[in-house]
Amino acid sequence: AEEDFSWFDLTEIELLRVKCLPHTLDVLRASSLYTPFHIQLSHKTQRARAHRRFIELLPPESRNVEDSLRVRVSTEQILTLPELKANPFRERICRVFSTAPERDSLSFEDFLDLFSVFSDAATPEIKSHYAFRIFDFDDDGTLNKEDLKCLVNCLTGDGQDTQLTSSEMKQLIENILEESDIDRDGTINLSEFQHVISRSPDFTSSFKIVL
Amino acid sequence: MWGNLNSPKTGENLPTKKHQKNPQKLKPPSPSPVFSPLPSIFASPCLCSPLPRKLQAGRPARPASGIRGSEGPLRLGRAWARLAGAPKILVPWRTTLTRIGGQYGAGTESYFTLLRFLLGLNILGALFQGALTLLPLLLLGPIPGPPSQGVHQPCGPYDPLPQGLVDYPTLLINLLSGEGHLEWSPLFYGFYPAQLSGGTFRLPVAYLLSTFVSGLLCLLLILHRSVSGLKQTLLSESGALTSYSHRIFSAWDFGLRGAGPVELRRRALRYELQVELEEASERKRAEARTRAQWAGLWATRILLNLLVLAMLGAAFYGIYWAVDPNKVLQTPVLRLLVAYLPSIFISAANLLLPPVFGLITGLEGYPRSRQLQLLLLRTVFLRLASLVVLLASLWNEITCGGKPEAEACATCGYNSAERPCWETRVGQEMYKLLLFDLLTALAIPLLVQFPRKLLGTVCCGRLGRLLGTMEFQVPEEVLGLVYGQTLVWIGAFYCPLLAGLNAIKFLIIFYLKRFSLFFFCSPASRTFRASAANFFFPLVLLLGLAISAVPVLYGIFVIPPSKLCGPFRGQVTIWAAVPHAIQGLPRTARDFLFFLGTLSFAVPLMLVSSVLMVYTLTLASSYGRQVSKLKGHIKMESKSKVLLAQRIVALSGEERDL
Repeated sequence: AEEDFSWFDLTEIELLRVKCLPHTLDVLRASSLYTPFHIQLSHKTQRARAHRRFIELLPPESRNVEDSLRVRVSTEQILTLPELKANPFRERICRVFSTAPERDSLSFEDFLDLFSVFSDAATPEIKSHYAFRIFDFDDDGTLNKEDLKCLVNCLTGDGQDTQLTSSEMKQLIENILEESDIDRDGTINLSEFQHVISRSPDFTSSFKIVL
Repeated sequence: MWGNLNSPKTGENLPTKKHQKNPQKLKPPSPSPVFSPLPSIFASPCLCSPLPRKLQAGRPARPASGIRGSEGPLRLGRAWARLAGAPKILVPWRTTLTRIGGQYGAGTESYFTLLRFLLGLNILGALFQGALTLLPLLLLGPIPGPPSQGVHQPCGPYDPLPQGLVDYPTLLINLLSGEGHLEWSPLFYGFYPAQLSGGTFRLPVAYLLSTFVSGLLCLLLILHRSVSGLKQTLLSESGALTSYSHRIFSAWDFGLRGAGPVELRRRALRYELQVELEEASERKRAEARTRAQWAGLWATRILLNLLVLAMLGAAFYGIYWAVDPNKVLQTPVLRLLVAYLPSIFISAANLLLPPVFGLITGLEGYPRSRQLQLLLLRTVFLRLASLVVLLASLWNEITCGGKPEAEACATCGYNSAERPCWETRVGQEMYKLLLFDLLTALAIPLLVQFPRKLLGTVCCGRLGRLLGTMEFQVPEEVLGLVYGQTLVWIGAFYCPLLAGLNAIKFLIIFYLKRFSLFFFCSPASRTFRASAANFFFPLVLLLGLAISAVPVLYGIFVIPPSKLCGPFRGQVTIWAAVPHAIQGLPRTARDFLFFLGTLSFAVPLMLVSSVLMVYTLTLASSYGRQVSKLKGHIKMESKSKVLLAQRIVALSGEERDL
């Protein structure tokens, strides 16, 4: 019976919106409705491979096992990886997975999280959850028109002549909201986003980075 | 927040769960049947075992919603994939094609894969025909000498070999137009004798068999290619997936590496979005048109279609006229020109008319995708119909317009005065077309693309950019390939080594096109739907195969073979060699083969095939109904999801007010 609600996942953001007593919050956190979305890479070789790539980014003096698990790598270093260098969403990815207070560096656990979410081992719900967070440019828990505009600009290109005209952009955003905004509040929340994603079969194969 | 690798968080939470009994607060004020599961979940402390979601320390990861698969099957799957991928290493040019696909888009890559496929087909066909016709001739039989000269022969003197010494220009012309020494050579039909020494190997039957078998093989391979491509395409291009949300949210491939492919994908995405938005606004505009505007638009369309038909008619008339043999000219250059006149007309029509069609379809006021389809249709028609017109002109010449009682055709059944060996003539025409096609392919980069590139660098500003940017036009190039292959299929019966020549030509064209692509062309801005590459192009190839079957079968079954040349001399029709050979078989085989030709075999076969077809059709329609039912189910599921999601939002809104 628990599988019936696998799509019904409360995220941290929504959880914090449910204003209730702290012990209720713990109950919710302990429930199967809430998943921490932290996945262990089940395959040892993948973890070892991730560790190897992480160590390459460290300065030479801290390239041993204990330091690598403690030290944080700055975002600029992470962005030199060939898998991420040309990705239009690279900064958002680093921001989303970073657990540092200023969101500008990644520890090895964050790094592992990153590549496990983008690996084959992650289920579509997890991938769509993180995709939502990556596309949420202002980190407010919903995709509003500004977020969608930034998203489209990321997809089409950054230059002046590679962007859509403002009328095209307006039309496009209206069409997207028309198709995906179910409760007609002008923004797309996580459930609506996951609903749209669930209908496309190639999302899982395109939301993938192989180390 | 997300816990460690060996997360002990479950342990922390369990105690709190045990003594919590709160959730009355979260009960919705007015529960309705749909939502009754919800309060119960909040109410019960033991919330349906969180174990599958959380990983306890020390426990091996069970296959649950967070993890997929375990180690054993994963390894096996990987080993199997490696094994299945092994034959792919043998296929040539793999790295080149992936490079082309990454830099220039999937459409360009599909052109080169089609070229590679056709090269394989031609090599196979050439090997087959060579093994069944040329090899026995070289190994067994006497190499036939030139046909006897001077003696009065019943169906006109046939004297292909030139007398005495031949000067150099004439030699060159003979090489280029398949006359002279080349005419009496294994290249053409006329050379092969009716009997080989030894008497055991029947060359006529082998000749026919090689044609039929290679044709069948081509058909099967093309069908296989188009069916597997179609399966892939139908899955990925159903209507719901091309919505805007899908394109924006789930179409970006995060595995793309390198600035080049990323830029390419961005351009393609931008183009797709712009086309979609433009079409949507076009549709809105079309809906808003008044009756007067509609009338004007349709009048324009009819006029433009008449213009297109007129241009096609003029081109076809030119081709028809160019095949006329009654031009005797002295200078070698003019002779060459006249010999190549049909090829020149066809190539000119195929080069000049499609851009004009492009301009015309732009004026017709259709949405862009419709325009592209119309343009493709018109170009396909032009390419294949020009060949048909050429063949019609040849047919007219050979069979005196289909009238066997006309005076030129009365004695021998074909026009023996002008064409004592008509099969070789058809073969020569196809040979010339092939050579001229290769010549055009060589000339275009040199005479068109290179100057444009030069001008692009010299002139500055917008004009320079306009001239200098060239893109690889995939549909036109693919239709050129189809045209070349259709030529070979028509000509392979009359010119057995044509498939081998075509293989060499395709090899040259591969390297030539690759060179011009990398040197002159910029990456494509137009995306190419996979359905076009996987479905439309093999379809046109099949159409070419069907069209090429007509002259070959007509020549085999209807027109009497030449009496002075070829392996079928002296027979009533070319096909007559087969029953004649069957007579020589042992009795049971002969009876069986003759039985296959009778009605008592054909009628039951037809009945069984129709029953099978009806069964397959009903199966397909029942699957279709099942699919639509499942789609309805999905809609209902999503409706209930939507309702619950709205409920959550309302709930959290209420909680905020609490």
